[in-house]
Amino acid sequence: MSVRTALPVVAALVVFVVAWQLAVVIGGLQPSILPPPLLVAERFVRAFAEGTIQPHLATTLQEIAVGLTVGAVLGLFAGYVMARSPLAERLLSPYIVAAQAIPILALAPLLAIWFGPGLLGKVVICALIVFFPVAVSTMVGIRSTDPRLLELGRSLRATPRQRLWTIEVPAALPSILGGLRVGVTLSVIGAIVGEWAGASRGLGVLINLARGSLFDIPLMFATLLTIALVGVALYLAVVLVERRLVGAR
Amino acid sequence: MSGTIELRDLAFAFRTRNGEPLQALEGVDLTVPGGAIVALIGPNGSGKSTLLRVIAGLLDPGRGEVLLDGTSVTGPDPRIGLVFQEPRLLPWRTAADNITYPLELAGWPRERRERRLRDLLDLTGLDAAAAAARPAELSGGQQQRTAIARSLALQPEVLLLDEPFSALDALTRERFDLELLSLWERTAPTIVLVTHAIPEAIVVADRVVVLTPRPGRVAADITVDLPRPRSLASMDEAAVSRTARLIRTHLGEESGGAGEESRPRLVVAS
Repeated sequence: MSVRTALPVVAALVVFVVAWQLAVVIGGLQPSILPPPLLVAERFVRAFAEGTIQPHLATTLQEIAVGLTVGAVLGLFAGYVMARSPLAERLLSPYIVAAQAIPILALAPLLAIWFGPGLLGKVVICALIVFFPVAVSTMVGIRSTDPRLLELGRSLRATPRQRLWTIEVPAALPSILGGLRVGVTLSVIGAIVGEWAGASRGLGVLINLARGSLFDIPLMFATLLTIALVGVALYLAVVLVERRLVGAR
Repeated sequence: MSGTIELRDLAFAFRTRNGEPLQALEGVDLTVPGGAIVALIGPNGSGKSTLLRVIAGLLDPGRGEVLLDGTSVTGPDPRIGLVFQEPRLLPWRTAADNITYPLELAGWPRERRERRLRDLLDLTGLDAAAAAARPAELSGGQQQRTAIARSLALQPEVLLLDEPFSALDALTRERFDLELLSLWERTAPTIVLVTHAIPEAIVVADRVVVLTPRPGRVAADITVDLPRPRSLASMDEAAVSRTARLIRTHLGEESGGAGEESRPRLVVAS
């Protein structure tokens, strides 16, 4: 990123922080309600220096990594099947949409009972929430493949596998990556919600601890900041992949 | 000579949205000897493109058959190269990778593909910069050159072209018609060219086959009596306007003397 493109981003950040500070000062808010930005920053640095956040971060990242992978792979697969077979779409889509329409918050405690308080429960919740945007965007992407390119493939006697990898997947890639952008941010929510429903470690647990028994609101905000940074980092990773794969077209 | 196409009593019907069959071709008989160039011309909806797709094995004829060197064409065939109306390139591949795409699908090893690519670039007049570019960065002419190079990749005996230069401007188009001829002289495939431009048909083809309006059948098979090699100067010969008039007659654009006479009367009436 050059100075030219970085400048507006930095400026926006400064405005955000100043607005935050003003809200604290003008509103006369206690640090237990809304800690000022500097206090949060200081607590954020100290929490990392003391190693408070790291173990929780590692757990959450693990849940996200596995859940996101499982959800995305299943989503890709289901999206492709639904794109190819109208029957599969008619059979599957009501269940997929219904599963998505039920708030994950309501589902999480049940899933925690089913799959236990360990990694598995969080992976299931995470995968469930990631699955939908990836499946839909894959289906839409594959369906929108230019039929003229498919005819070209047919005239060159492409096998179904060749057609998939040389025409359909590249054609669907922008759409799939769009779904993945939504998916990665949702995967963070999935992991945190899963931890709230029952866990011994994770950023979601740390929020509860900071808010509850520790009553360390600045630490809670430092944890929120960590979660936000994880989401932003994942999102940027997808954008980078997208730029590499699709940008040059 | 190989590359002989025989069409025997070919019929094809599309199925419309409400299930009614729409007869596009009805009883087309045509023989194109190996190495010949035939132009297919006809009004819109006469099934020119449909006929080309049936020959290419992309559409299954309802009746009759397509023979290539005596064997029936039942599906897409490596002996047949196809150029579409639009370049139809894969936008995420470079021009070079588009050209070698058929070779890749056919399982050629990389090194052999590279060698063939050099020949094809040479044949179609594409330079290294164009080869490395993506389709979006190429001009319309370069895109169609790429498409032609791709159609020649597997050294087909037959080259089918569906109004390949219709998107190009008139001057570029003339040049491409002549380049197609020089390409033909060097590679000598049988060529079937669908066109709606009479001058293009005449300058390129040995024979111009005129199709009737739907359902398409052969209305006339006109031999173009122009010596080869041809150039733009060939277009000034008397044979050209004679052939063009003959084609127009069969296209129904000009119904001979009677039509000419009826025109002034229309003017008076208005």
